[in-house]
Amino acid sequence: MFGLNLDITGELAAFFILAVCAITGAVMALNLTRVIHSVLSLAFTFISLAGLYVLLGAEFAAFVQVLVYVGAVTILMIFGIMMTRHDHESQERQRPLTEALAGIGCLALFGILFFTIRGTDFPAPAGALPEDNVGELGRLIFSGFAIPFELMSVLLTVAFVGAVMLARREEDDLP
Amino acid sequence: MQWLWDQPLSWMNAAWFTLGALCVLGIVIFFVTYAIYFERKIIGWMQFRKGPNRVGPFGLLQTVADVAKLLLKEDTIPAKADKALFIMAPALAFIPSFAALAIIPYGMNLQFADVNVGFLYYVALSGVTTIAIVTAGWASNNKYALLGGMRSAAQMISYEVPLVISVVGVAMMTGSLNLREIVLAQEGYFWNWNFLPQIIGFVVFLVSALAELNRTPFDLPEAESELVAGYHTEYSGFRFAFFMLAEYVYLYAIACLTTILFLGGWNPPLPQLAFIPGIVWFILKFLAVVFFVFWVRATFPRLRVDQLMGLAWKALLPLAMLNIFITAAGIHWFGWGG
Repeated sequence: MFGLNLDITGELAAFFILAVCAITGAVMALNLTRVIHSVLSLAFTFISLAGLYVLLGAEFAAFVQVLVYVGAVTILMIFGIMMTRHDHESQERQRPLTEALAGIGCLALFGILFFTIRGTDFPAPAGALPEDNVGELGRLIFSGFAIPFELMSVLLTVAFVGAVMLARREEDDLP
Repeated sequence: MQWLWDQPLSWMNAAWFTLGALCVLGIVIFFVTYAIYFERKIIGWMQFRKGPNRVGPFGLLQTVADVAKLLLKEDTIPAKADKALFIMAPALAFIPSFAALAIIPYGMNLQFADVNVGFLYYVALSGVTTIAIVTAGWASNNKYALLGGMRSAAQMISYEVPLVISVVGVAMMTGSLNLREIVLAQEGYFWNWNFLPQIIGFVVFLVSALAELNRTPFDLPEAESELVAGYHTEYSGFRFAFFMLAEYVYLYAIACLTTILFLGGWNPPLPQLAFIPGIVWFILKFLAVVFFVFWVRATFPRLRVDQLMGLAWKALLPLAMLNIFITAAGIHWFGWGG
């Protein structure tokens, strides 16, 4: 069951480095005491995930991930932190029982995931990835998946209009 | 990109990759040194001054002397700064700017990584630099630095939108986001280059690129008359040099991208001139774009903050959208593009 046979290739080395980076970033985001440090570690995780996407041959998803999550979401979070009080440091409270239970839960989750993944046969991909996967993505969005795509854009427009409405109302309340 | 990690892991390959990267670093540092020199000279001439002319023949070593001065300067860190972030920010600003150069094709076979989505890669990385600038402003614990950082973030997010949308027209004409294919689609006479059919996109791209570079008339993040020096107010010595380096490396990248996306890359203006190697044409066009950026800096006054945001959202964005519609109509009815 644990038949791990690994050839050390560039791909594998890159995968391990990126995976360790992603996990480190996530752990640091939880553990650091200053909020802005957490946000930056989160950005680090996002970049490592983008690296994993590149390894999977999904360059478009990878760079959009960096563009949206790192370039926009993280900066929005930083803006939020800067606008509020930033000299606050979160205090650790000692609750040994809760921590022990959480630890056991984590281990159990890891066990379940590990054994499920090891026990699953992954079918071989149906065909080779197209060379120009961005173009293929575009063709699929505007042919087979046109309706979900349009629904997404309607949803985004609604969210957008809603945000503008909320912001306007607050502006009107000002004297 | 698959060939990059299909190769066996060996010291030989690692050495080749490192050597390639070091070559680019050398070229870029040479470019930055003389870009600064020419910027000062050109602005000097435009203002009836002489510009630097003391250090070395014609002042050619002025930048070298300036860099040496920066390296020897005392490296100060404010007592109340966030030390780790203060130290990290300059590196964080430089690394993406340098990594963005990996995808630029200088010639048909002169490119490091042939990425399918070359342009998006550049935009994504320039977003990381924005984070570094905001971090620098915040970590300095100085109100001017913080204001500069905030302005920079607002400006770069706003101008990224028209920048990306203005290139959609080019992508539609080519049918690809791959930078090499975009150049190949512009072969032939110079009226086949994208800047004529995509004239609106070209203008929007140039204006938003100037804003992305934080250069005059859009250099509000470091407007010295109101913000001392913006986000790098507290930086000195080598760390300050890193911010300047990152800024000029982005100038290099944007000039390369303008050349590739709109000015035909390594294609000669007339096919009869093809006996001159493509790299020469690339360098000539690249230098013309760089000169244009310096020229704008010497002649335009700085915008106000409210005008800046208005320009991005009310003028450039609708124009870029209009460009997409015109391009779509052109492709549909007049058979533009490939």
